[in-house]
Amino acid sequence: MALGPFTKQDHLEITTLGMEFAVSEILGAGAGYWLDQRWGTSPWMLLAGAGAGFALGLYQVIRGAGQMSRKKTNLRKVEKEDGRR
Amino acid sequence: MDVAEIIAHHILDHDWGVTLDGLRLPITTHSVTLMAISVVLLLGLSWIARLGPSRAGRLLTTLMEEYVSFIRDGIVLPNMGKEGKSFLPYFCTLFLFVLCSALAGLIPNMKTATANISVTAALALCSGGLILYCGLKFHGPIGFLKGFIPSGTPGWLVPLIFPLEVVSMIIKVCVLAIRLFANMLSGHMVLICLLLIIFVVGQMHIAAGAGALLPAMGLELFMTCLELLVAFLQAYVFTLLTSIFAGSVIHTH
Repeated sequence: MALGPFTKQDHLEITTLGMEFAVSEILGAGAGYWLDQRWGTSPWMLLAGAGAGFALGLYQVIRGAGQMSRKKTNLRKVEKEDGRR
Repeated sequence: MDVAEIIAHHILDHDWGVTLDGLRLPITTHSVTLMAISVVLLLGLSWIARLGPSRAGRLLTTLMEEYVSFIRDGIVLPNMGKEGKSFLPYFCTLFLFVLCSALAGLIPNMKTATANISVTAALALCSGGLILYCGLKFHGPIGFLKGFIPSGTPGWLVPLIFPLEVVSMIIKVCVLAIRLFANMLSGHMVLICLLLIIFVVGQMHIAAGAGALLPAMGLELFMTCLELLVAFLQAYVFTLLTSIFAGSVIHTH
């Protein structure tokens, strides 16, 4: 079953987005926890790190989805032009 | 029976290294597996390359040519363009190495080296190095850094977007390592857990254990076949994602 005008490379990139989101969150929280241990600011750095990680993950998902959307639009344009010829 | 201990013994690396003059040489099961794979690949491939025009020679040479064509036409050229041709040896090596590491785990008394985060992290670091090299080679240091800023970004947003994009690229490389590690580790965990079902149920009642034997072995066989598929799939995915990321650095806009 074809899932839109995407190649298997695109599908692979889409599946990576979820993992990127999770890794961003974990890395952010981990960095925050480490800073908390170092500076004795528990739990503020952990919260800030988790927030920053969440924001970064969200940014990646939005950007990835935007790229896919642009690719889809471009592919449709090409298909239309091919159809006219 | 300590189930957790058995699973840990099956999954984790075992260090039986030696200490020479206070210097620890950590010879582990995973490192020996990796070295064995490297030696087998080096000797095997150079043997194939030197084979004459015999029937076996022609067959193996054609097989390797098909393999290289698959990596070139299916992975490198579509994602990196003609610029990627010079990196073809790296991708061929990467695919074979990841594949053989995963397949080694299906051989009795050997372990899957890629079920160790250090191994996958080292592989991802090599891929990260390649991505960095591609960026620097094709765009220069300034052009490479400029490539991190998406086109059409307003000037006041650049200080915010640039670090986000740099961290995103680092995370992409981390994801490469984690994806391979998690897939390999979970597959082997499932395999040992399915086998342990027989013994855990058998401890409750011997007849129940005997009853669980056939379904558990059937599932084990199915999962082993699935692991075989996963070995090929993960080698393909790792190589493909490396080429996609390297391609995105080469063709920035």
